[in-house]
Amino acid sequence: MASLPQLVEEDVLKLEEELRGLLAQSEATTALLIDTGGFLIGSSGDAGQFDLTTIAALAAGAFMANQTIAGLVSEPHFNSLYQQGEQFSLFVLAVDEQALLVVIFQAHLGVGLVKYYAQPAAMRISRQLQIAHARNPDASLDLSELNLADPRGLFRKKAG
Amino acid sequence: MAIINQATKELQVKIVYYGPAMGGKTTNLVQVHDHVQTAAGHKGKLVSLATSSDRTLFFDFLPIEAMSIKGFKTKFQLYTVPGQVIYNTTRQLVLRGVDGIVFVADSQYEKMAENVESLANLEENLKTLKLALASIPCVLQYNKRDLPNAAPVEYMDFLLNNRDLQVPAFTSTAHLCEGVFESLNMITRLLLHKFISQPAPQYA
Repeated sequence: MASLPQLVEEDVLKLEEELRGLLAQSEATTALLIDTGGFLIGSSGDAGQFDLTTIAALAAGAFMANQTIAGLVSEPHFNSLYQQGEQFSLFVLAVDEQALLVVIFQAHLGVGLVKYYAQPAAMRISRQLQIAHARNPDASLDLSELNLADPRGLFRKKAG
Repeated sequence: MAIINQATKELQVKIVYYGPAMGGKTTNLVQVHDHVQTAAGHKGKLVSLATSSDRTLFFDFLPIEAMSIKGFKTKFQLYTVPGQVIYNTTRQLVLRGVDGIVFVADSQYEKMAENVESLANLEENLKTLKLALASIPCVLQYNKRDLPNAAPVEYMDFLLNNRDLQVPAFTSTAHLCEGVFESLNMITRLLLHKFISQPAPQYA
């Protein structure tokens, strides 16, 4: 499986700029960049209104499930998903093999405008992810302060 | 695949609870959700995509945040898979991007064949994702130890943990929250060990 690149500050700023630009153009409420495993990579817009972590996990699951269904009916070109709501609608677009763009917008706006602006935004995001891939900087996690001989500190059961 | 975001100092890790149907995978997540000690706001909602009879249809999902590690926010995403044989495609979807596995086995004698079959199914599904069980941190949990027909631990070890590299195994009674946190902490420990011994991890 291909891996996502490491993101450094330059990447994060560029991705956030793309998400902000998409919101400004399409008048959508919130835009998320997620990976197909369900992780939230970045977001822009009204973050307080929605549980973005859960939306990322469910949107990735829904997209992958629909992609699998498309494959079962011999449809190889599945790259977007539209959920129409009464208050808010949702549009999910594949950025590349590993990342998805999720756009939440008010239902009265219509999906056409969102689709129109999401497509080029996804291409620009894909290019930035390719740049990050090519950069491949050395990096590591310094976990030296963690006593791995005693993992109890990570998750503790409440007393009582 | 774990996501490490150096820019925002975040580490996100996906742990999947796997095992035969009715083995206690969802119960593990419910117990973690009910009993985990976290700072306010660091425990997410437990989301269950289940049938009307409370059987997992797609997955259960629980995001939790562990203590900060050297300034990194560490977010763990816990998933379960549906155990029934017919939901294999769904299991493959949930396994995408997995970093660690807790295999929840049912200790009852009559469930041993299902345990073995489910473990073999896990290995097959990982292969479809170009992964090998031996290369992924994994913990075995022998659940339902409170039942009178529970098989001896040695027997379960022989059936499920009989390989070149044995993995940590815990006994549990998940509905009483016994063995639940022991398994969770061990899998997180194994995962973090992997990150330390892998100086240039593949991530976002």
